[in-house]
Amino acid sequence: MAKKKQSYVDLKDQPVPEGSHLLEVDNLKMYFHTQDGVVHAVDGVSYTLDRGETLGVVGESGSGKSVTAKTLMGLIEMPPGKIEGGDARYRGKSLLKMTEEEMQHVRGNDIAMIFQDPMTSLNPVYKIGRQVGEGLRLHRGYSKKEALARAVELLDLVGIPEPEKRVNEYPHQFSGGMRQRVMIAMALACDPDILIADEPTTALDVTIQAQIIELMQEMQKKNGNAIIMITHDLGVVADMADKIMVMYAGRPVEFGTAEEIFYDSRHPYTWGLINSIPKQETDEKKPLTPIAGNPPSLVNLPSGCPFAPRCPYAVGICHEKLPEHITTESGHYSACHFADDPKFLAYAPETSRTRANLAARKAAGAQHAAKEA
Amino acid sequence: MQYPDLIQPDGEAAAVEAHAVEVSEGASRTLWGDAFKRLRKNKLAIIAVVWIVFVALVAITADLWAPQLLGSPTAADTTAMATSSLLPPSLEHPFGTDVTGRDILVRVIYGARISLTVGLVATAISTVIGLVMGAIAAYYGGIFDTIIMRLADIFLAFPYVLFVLCLIAALGQSITNVFIAIGILGWPSIARVFRSAILSVKENDYVDAARAMGASDVRIIVRHIFPNSVASIVVYATMNIGSAILSEAAISFLGMGVQPPNPSWGIMIQDGQAYLMNAPWLMIMPGLAILSTVLAFTLLGDGLRDALDVKMKDA
Amino acid sequence: MAEKTPLLKVEHLSKDFPAESGVFAKRFARKVSAVNDVSFEIYPGETLGLVGESGCGKSTTGRTIMRLTNPTAGKVYFEGKDVAAMNKRELKEMRRNMQFIFQDPYASLNPRMTIGEIVSEPMTIHNVGTKEERMRTVRELLDVVGLNPEHINRYPHEFSGGQRQRIGIARAFALRPKLIICDEPVSALDVSIQAQVLNLLKDLQNRYGTAYLFIAHDLSVVQHISDRVAVMYLGKMVEISDWKTLYAEPHHPYTQSLLSAVPVPDPDIQKSRERIILAGDPPSPLDPPSGCRFHTRCPIAQGKCSQEAPEFREVKPGHFCACHFAEPFPIKQSSIEL
Repeated sequence: MAKKKQSYVDLKDQPVPEGSHLLEVDNLKMYFHTQDGVVHAVDGVSYTLDRGETLGVVGESGSGKSVTAKTLMGLIEMPPGKIEGGDARYRGKSLLKMTEEEMQHVRGNDIAMIFQDPMTSLNPVYKIGRQVGEGLRLHRGYSKKEALARAVELLDLVGIPEPEKRVNEYPHQFSGGMRQRVMIAMALACDPDILIADEPTTALDVTIQAQIIELMQEMQKKNGNAIIMITHDLGVVADMADKIMVMYAGRPVEFGTAEEIFYDSRHPYTWGLINSIPKQETDEKKPLTPIAGNPPSLVNLPSGCPFAPRCPYAVGICHEKLPEHITTESGHYSACHFADDPKFLAYAPETSRTRANLAARKAAGAQHAAKEA
Repeated sequence: MQYPDLIQPDGEAAAVEAHAVEVSEGASRTLWGDAFKRLRKNKLAIIAVVWIVFVALVAITADLWAPQLLGSPTAADTTAMATSSLLPPSLEHPFGTDVTGRDILVRVIYGARISLTVGLVATAISTVIGLVMGAIAAYYGGIFDTIIMRLADIFLAFPYVLFVLCLIAALGQSITNVFIAIGILGWPSIARVFRSAILSVKENDYVDAARAMGASDVRIIVRHIFPNSVASIVVYATMNIGSAILSEAAISFLGMGVQPPNPSWGIMIQDGQAYLMNAPWLMIMPGLAILSTVLAFTLLGDGLRDALDVKMKDA
Repeated sequence: MAEKTPLLKVEHLSKDFPAESGVFAKRFARKVSAVNDVSFEIYPGETLGLVGESGCGKSTTGRTIMRLTNPTAGKVYFEGKDVAAMNKRELKEMRRNMQFIFQDPYASLNPRMTIGEIVSEPMTIHNVGTKEERMRTVRELLDVVGLNPEHINRYPHEFSGGQRQRIGIARAFALRPKLIICDEPVSALDVSIQAQVLNLLKDLQNRYGTAYLFIAHDLSVVQHISDRVAVMYLGKMVEISDWKTLYAEPHHPYTQSLLSAVPVPDPDIQKSRERIILAGDPPSPLDPPSGCRFHTRCPIAQGKCSQEAPEFREVKPGHFCACHFAEPFPIKQSSIEL
């Protein structure tokens, strides 16, 4: 058994083909065929990811952000799900064309995933040590003893005190934050290339959230893996993501580097997400600026731009024509008809940089005025 | 390019605009209407309903046509015995005849009367007792809960058939007492199901919400707890009908239930067992009747469980 | 504020829960001290934000005020009357003036009742108006909270989480109460919907002059809606102050770490600001640490902290803090400037 596993060539040991990326998702489409109609759960998602990078995937619930990740992992039941187009290549090999057996080697070994709810994603009847070591026994042919020894090391690595004692405990003896650490240890056991984290901090307290994010970043520095961080809160990915994809109604509406998304955002939905986050002010309170309305049903998408009914700037064309991606030279794209219109982009939310610019300009103006006088 | 005026959507505007993207339009539906709709999509449940309705109709109207067509279900005259004893199924006697020459189909039809009545009456008795006991145990808790639940445990710990037989022996042997015995012994499981349903419903915030509004205990039970726990009882009671039918058959088979010459499926099987080798239809026909009817109630119960689940969307 | 009388006055409130239940519970009488000696006041029309991590007793405080559970010790006065001493009739009257908004928009609405029945229920219970009048009020309320009044006959499962929370808000406002206890009303919602609900609550407060006790686990949400903010840790109140002071100069190290944990949607700021990341988990309330309950995770803890429980003292007028070093300790500037 162990031998057979070891004879399998790990995909992550193979070189990334010349000119391509570690993970390339290309116009991926996955629809659910239900009794009520076709649900466009993933509709034309494209991005690339390299080792050491972090991609933030941001959107409201029902925007298809989790489903996209599950599609890559082959965790969507087909039917009702069906790949309707596009591809996802990992080290040049299509994930969508793999057999179930090949996929099983990829899951956990090459691409690992952690989930939102640390309370339900651990099996309550097995000891922690066994669960952390399971991947190693499965993928690496470790013996029981070796797996347990490695589990102790891993728990120590993710900051769980007294790991020798705690490997013999059951999940219910761990707190929420500690369980999420265990999940991370499990995910990192086989040293995966890509770690997909689906809202890993949403169920946790704020002070614990900060710990978990710090831990994920630390682990990334050590192992050089890529991270796909799925969240509904742009604030969470502000200091950890290199690239950000904003999703709405199954479609990516904006994609760019973190700099571009926060300081040169070109989609009113992204603006809405930024504005929705309460600002830390200590002088006076301004009303929050939420996004009006609710996300649309993915069965009956409005015609034209799916965001148009909630967009404060929508005009005629928005309700009629689905916007194409407007891409800049750097690869930053936005699915808004007006993404390349500087007049429109002036509506983007204020950031620390625009404020700094404004202040600098004012100061320069004052200096100028002073000189004149 | 003309842009709309820059209106930052403030709270009020946002709230009003929310109208635009409301839930899918369409006539307002009720929950039970929804449940019925979902039930209709479940083919097995529909087959079960059709079968139950068919059996019930045949049993109810039997007096009007069955004896004329197939002969009396009980009377055995010597001529019939001589000419038509143990005939295999034929056009004239679709299910064959028994040793005294009576048509088995007509006996199965009249047996259905007893079986269905037993199922309904016994379940009704168990349900009423079970609901009251379960509600008291769950809502008031403490010592009530302990006493009622331990009592239920004791009931459940007894060998069931033996218990029924003793009860019938004590009450006296009659059809009514069979109903009562089966009914009384059925309450512990209903009480348990109802109690746990109430306990889980009680945990919901809307029960606290009602208390926080100042609602009385009665209102909380009637308006909030009962409607949300009744679904599990409907499901359980439906399935219970099937098992009550089975119990009656078993008791009659043992000779403590319905007495000959009255036809009951259990008695018919007992009658038939002597002729298993040369006239197997004597056992097979009532056996099939029990099987199909009990199965139908179980399938209907399963269907109801899915249909009544609020969280199951139509997707 | 001396001239105003408080609407709600909580004095030395404590609530213990038995840790074990069952036959042998009494023998090992261990108890969880969920709320320990908490005092605060709420004035008419103001919002007090109550913040803390899960298990710190903030929800229990809210439920005890409402008398959904009875306090172990301490007093709650609503409009000057002792809530614990109220008889059935007085309690019903009080609940007319004090309403609750729940965290979970799915569990807090009875799935078998229509929206009309849900929102009108408080009026039905308190016999307000005729049926027609009640339905008219429900329509008005639905309109005010941004739902379509035509949907009065629909069931909760037909609505999204944000819409359900609006239904819960409409229900809470049906009797125009003087105080609403909001128990994490936006925690289960997406960020974009959170802002909608927060604005709605603020608007309704401006319109009806209702006071809120706004419970949350995160300081960023509370800031927007609160006049004063209280922070709880492991059943104890650690700091209370008006919101400006609390956000500008938080005295307690726990408040500071909560503030610094709030993510800011601006990478430059996020990367440059100083963050205090607390180590470890909150200790179990079954066995709270000696002395200051925060000392096991506190970045500035000293010997004294593990021995002596700090007094909840007034460090500045209206600003209370339970930390031995609150005054002499120079507070690290952790407020964030945009």
